[in-house]
Amino acid sequence: MEPATSSRLRLPDTSALQLTRRRLLGTGLALGLGGFLAACSGGQPDVLASPEGPPQSGGTLRVGLSGGGAADSLDAHSPVSTTDIARVVNLYESLLYRDENYELQPLLAVSATPSADALVWTVDLRKGVTFHDGRPLTGRDVAATFKRITDPDDPKTGASSLSVLDEVAVINDHRVEFRLNTAAATFDDSLGQYALGIVPEDYDPATPIGTGPFKYQSFTPGRSSLFVRNENYWRDNEPYLDELSILNFDDDDALINALLSTQVDAVGQIPLALLEVIDADPRISILNSETGMWMPFTMRVDKPPFDDNRVRQAFRLAVDREQMIEQVLSGNGSIGNDLYSPFDPGYASKLPQRVQDIARAKELLADAGYPDGLSVELVTAPIQAGAVEAAQVFAQQAAAAGIDVKIRRVDTTTFFGDGYLQWDFAQDFWYTRNFLPQVNNSSLPTAPYNETHWDHPEFNELVAQAKGTLDPDKRNELIAAAQEIEYNEGGYIIWGHPNQADAYQQYVAGLVPNRTGLALSGFEFRRVWLGGDLS
Amino acid sequence: MPIILRRLATSVLILLAVSVMVFVATLLLPGDPAQAILGQQATPERLAALREQMNLNDPVLQRYFSWLGGLFVGDLGISAASGGPVSALLGERIGASLVLLVAASLISLPVGFLVGTYSALRRGRTGDHVTTGVSLVLAALPEFVIGIALITLFSTTVFPILPSVTMAPPGEAVWNYPLQLVLPTLTLVLVVTPYITRMMRATMLEVLDSGYVEMARLKGVPERQVILRHALPHALSPVAQVVAIQLAWMAGGVVVVEFLFRYPGIGQALVDAVANRDVQVVQALSILIAAVYIIVNLLADMVGILTNPKLRTGGTR
Repeated sequence: MEPATSSRLRLPDTSALQLTRRRLLGTGLALGLGGFLAACSGGQPDVLASPEGPPQSGGTLRVGLSGGGAADSLDAHSPVSTTDIARVVNLYESLLYRDENYELQPLLAVSATPSADALVWTVDLRKGVTFHDGRPLTGRDVAATFKRITDPDDPKTGASSLSVLDEVAVINDHRVEFRLNTAAATFDDSLGQYALGIVPEDYDPATPIGTGPFKYQSFTPGRSSLFVRNENYWRDNEPYLDELSILNFDDDDALINALLSTQVDAVGQIPLALLEVIDADPRISILNSETGMWMPFTMRVDKPPFDDNRVRQAFRLAVDREQMIEQVLSGNGSIGNDLYSPFDPGYASKLPQRVQDIARAKELLADAGYPDGLSVELVTAPIQAGAVEAAQVFAQQAAAAGIDVKIRRVDTTTFFGDGYLQWDFAQDFWYTRNFLPQVNNSSLPTAPYNETHWDHPEFNELVAQAKGTLDPDKRNELIAAAQEIEYNEGGYIIWGHPNQADAYQQYVAGLVPNRTGLALSGFEFRRVWLGGDLS
Repeated sequence: MPIILRRLATSVLILLAVSVMVFVATLLLPGDPAQAILGQQATPERLAALREQMNLNDPVLQRYFSWLGGLFVGDLGISAASGGPVSALLGERIGASLVLLVAASLISLPVGFLVGTYSALRRGRTGDHVTTGVSLVLAALPEFVIGIALITLFSTTVFPILPSVTMAPPGEAVWNYPLQLVLPTLTLVLVVTPYITRMMRATMLEVLDSGYVEMARLKGVPERQVILRHALPHALSPVAQVVAIQLAWMAGGVVVVEFLFRYPGIGQALVDAVANRDVQVVQALSILIAAVYIIVNLLADMVGILTNPKLRTGGTR
């Protein structure tokens, strides 16, 4: 599961205000909890123990998510905000998908097999799957879907990772061939993106028809959507819910208040700083998922001072990663080693963990011609919870190494505007991805979001080899070798991988921790059911 | 009443000036609306086609007048973010904001007048001290503090009896769920009323100390009549100005309150439009908010004229 662009949640720029409000809300929660215990009576089932036993059918799940706005859409292939993604995942299904352990699983495909040269991938489709209007899923729908996504006049979100795709040939109703222009040993990984939902040949986003567990009922962009159960869903028994309501929130306080007043049943992506205090409420359960998401600092390797590797390494050594996780993520994250894709089977786990070393950083800077330290501008924006805070913490830590970081804060739209991918020293946010798809997006001269302008001949060669290597062991060795180059010379400072934290009412069952970085079990609401008395 | 007509004419002129400013300001934004709508998918051909469709190739003056003409017939253009007409996008939101504004005014105006007058009549006594103290504290609190306090008190923790956010299903109006309106309305009432109360008390005190009130009392006019017939009308004029400012503030989109209660008002729409560079929506809302400012101020002026015998009879200056 992976968006082709880095997450661009177009949230209003109100974090400065929110910081104080969040603190205030936290205090309010802490003070109010005693009172709550005395006067506990919600409108919904009063279950203080998690539901057990076999899942029961029925009920409406109301999900609150922050982000989104008037630009929200139900187009299967253009999800932008978190709310878009949550809706798309439940209306449509791709051929493969990433499960909660970040393993590739069949969805509408039953198998995806490469030819010996990895130039042709044969995909067998699941039989007996129908669209919401009753028509059966065929190979022609798959071909039409990929044609729509890669339309050169109007390429959709998933197109950038499908650049190797020449055409989709329909063999019969249940088999298609993906013919590629370049060998791609992990092409199946590219097929596992949520923005590649299969739609009927005559698809029109105005009538959003897919094969997903829920069917479209109504939708107001920026406000809410209501979906109903797909009675003909191909999995047995699922989905359990009668209705799924997804609501946009512009404000984290409003989101959490709605949960505490039982107006919603589950909320995605809660501020990590509030985790402890929300967890103290006996009615609420927390879903704390370790992920492979990363919020790097990006140094342009082709611009001074970062064109000197000693400067890049000095910056990496200036970071106190543990403190970063503690202060920015309130301790809810795993430490980073300047490498992305921690769940990739080829991840270079043997490289020593980089730790703060101010003396060595100063030495490197002196060697690079900055004996008295240097001054840089760091462009930051509230592109993701904690991004601006991370910039502030980094500025403090780097000062010890004689690096004077001037923080330039812009709003999110400006950040992703004309200057995006051009900033000398900035930040970004990426969801969990495996190595090769990530490199395609961010770390090759051809990558659409190569924000560090990374173009390393030896690295490029290793990646090209890995892409054509079908033997997983050999491929993993090549990946580890490429990662070692990034570890020694790369332009990213990857200090940690934030957890994804969600909260839900105790009576909601079927949510499990999920490594993809998408909120609420990767939005797989087909597995969710409600405990208590539903009548 | 020529003076009222004159004020009306001035208001129309101001509104026209504002429309020019809004239009010019959006011209100055980098990139044109066509580029904003297409974003990353902008190819020269698609840009040209869309510019043609949106009449962006016409001279600026002609565009201004066709936009202005559109305002009068309710044609506000096409929203870049949603791809639909702006009027469809904003219709419900304007209604929702209006509901909040009217509900809050209907409560805060009478309460403000009454409490302010009461406080003035009890000058220096306990009742006066209590109301002055409470209104001072409330006036000092930002609206989100009041909102969060109300939510904690009535929704999430102490007495979980009221909904904390507005969540009508898609297509349904907010007033179909009156319980969800209670807390946002109450928040606005608690923000607005203290100002009205304090102003009412201050002007009332001044009026009660004036010569004509003293004269009326000496003549033996009953106290009730002194207050209602002689004092109150004179006190209202300055208060009307404060009321106008409060109404305009509420109409301008109470963004923080809307965010906190997930209320689908115009403030939220404006913030979203600015983030999306949705120029047409920003233009429409700016004009709307400016119009409300001008209208409420005009109304306040009229109250001032009608309650002032000197102005009312036209014997100006």
